[in-house]
Amino acid sequence: MMGREPIGAPPPGAAEDVTGVDSVAGVVDETVGGGRGRRWLEEYLPAIILFVVGLGGWEMIVRLLDIQAFLLPAPTVIGTAFVENFDRLMHVGWFTTKEALGGFVIGCGLGIGVALATARWTAVSETLMPFAVAANSVPIIAFAPILNNWFGVDNPLSKMVIVAVIIFFPMMINTVRGLTLVDAAALELMRSYAASEWQILRHLRWPNALPYMFNAFKVAATLSMIGAVVSEYFGGNRSALGIFITQEAAQFRFANAWAGILVACVVGVTFYVVILLVERVALPWHVSVREK
Amino acid sequence: MDEAIVAVKGVNKVFEGRGGQRTVALQDINLRIAPGEFVSIIGPSGCGKSTLLRVVGDLVEPTEGEVMVAGKSARAARLAQAYGIAFQAPVLYEWRTILKNIQLPMELRGFSKEEKESRAREMLALVELADFGGHYPWQLSGGMQQRAAIARALAMRPSLLLMDEPFGALDEMTRERMNLALQAIWQKTETTVIFITHSIAEAVFLSTRVVVMSARPGQIMEEIGIDLPLPRDERTHQLPRFFELLNEVRSSLRRAEGVHDGA
Repeated sequence: MMGREPIGAPPPGAAEDVTGVDSVAGVVDETVGGGRGRRWLEEYLPAIILFVVGLGGWEMIVRLLDIQAFLLPAPTVIGTAFVENFDRLMHVGWFTTKEALGGFVIGCGLGIGVALATARWTAVSETLMPFAVAANSVPIIAFAPILNNWFGVDNPLSKMVIVAVIIFFPMMINTVRGLTLVDAAALELMRSYAASEWQILRHLRWPNALPYMFNAFKVAATLSMIGAVVSEYFGGNRSALGIFITQEAAQFRFANAWAGILVACVVGVTFYVVILLVERVALPWHVSVREK
Repeated sequence: MDEAIVAVKGVNKVFEGRGGQRTVALQDINLRIAPGEFVSIIGPSGCGKSTLLRVVGDLVEPTEGEVMVAGKSARAARLAQAYGIAFQAPVLYEWRTILKNIQLPMELRGFSKEEKESRAREMLALVELADFGGHYPWQLSGGMQQRAAIARALAMRPSLLLMDEPFGALDEMTRERMNLALQAIWQKTETTVIFITHSIAEAVFLSTRVVVMSARPGQIMEEIGIDLPLPRDERTHQLPRFFELLNEVRSSLRRAEGVHDGA
């Protein structure tokens, strides 16, 4: 009797299962064994070579063409300035990083909060979205002097608010998209389960929105450092990276200014990489994270 | 026939288009299905067969008429999880492993951890995916994903299984294997099945009854009882009666398509 036989006993033509097992085995292979270090090297070697060649080329061009330091100092000169001013750079760098982080948390928190609130009432979010998209294309940094005025130019909160305002719109727009652009069949499945709005949010809309949110986090990470440094250009506490850069440049210590820029770059990139790593851990299932 | 598990009485469904044009998706549908039956609904594209399935599942509201499922209104039956559903796409949530996907309906109902775990494992074994519970959907082939979707549909031990062209996207070989698997599951679980399909062979092989629909408006043209012996297996395809029934359904479909063409 058929019913007693194993249901999917693979006959010779079981192409379906063969491909399935193959792809599974492929995935397993990559996580086991020593291939990982080599794969990593293969993936990043071109970038490392490009970086080294780029720096070397920069150094050579500056020396050969005898370019003036106020136009472009050589990497070695910037490196020396970095070492000489290390303590001060760390001090001002940390100060600005705190502003960027504070702004990041406030901006992302508000963006996600408003997105959750409005996505619950589709009509509200549909009304708000055009405004949010329009606001997103406004150069918000232009408001920096005004916000400095509102919150006090020496108050780090004024910088955090600028960062938060810059981050808010991309964060909110992306989260709303992730919460609302849900597969129609996946929603229908939820309805067949008689799931409540809350359950649909928790089990479908929220996980669906996470990849969108991580994209926004990456944008926000970059924007937060830009926002913090540029808002400091408009004045404020003297122990800040933006102030350091403008003052050193004003006093023709261009290598020092470049060393400050280097700190801003390193912090920005680090911030981005941290979010990338968190994404890998948090979304092991997502296309962007899957092992190739 | 008081013990019908599905009773559709005088159902009409009209969709109002944007420009005010009305599309009659279903017209005067009457259908009774007894417990344990396997009923396939077949018809040309746009004949409203998917709409009919959704009306039974209370995912689409009929414009007129009455639908009873398991002795309750269609809405009450949905709220009581009286049916499981499988779509053409597997619709597995990509952030959940196969096991967690199958547990989803139980999770929404607040089942205990042990109950969820043991029942999901049981369903995985039933669809021959016991070793794949920890995998993500994208790590499995299309046929395996569809089997996982069927396991999920069966997780609540529903008395009724609604299937909307579940194997439509699979290649022919996989499809035949899935048909054998579904046939065996149906025998084991004694679930009633409503099965939407485009394939005549699939409908005849699986069903105890084939319902033929015509398009625009979607109407039931004919019902053909399938008296092939149970259980069915590879040999069923060789039976002379199988070919007779194929031809019967095919000519019925042709009549269904011709009805409105000539007018």
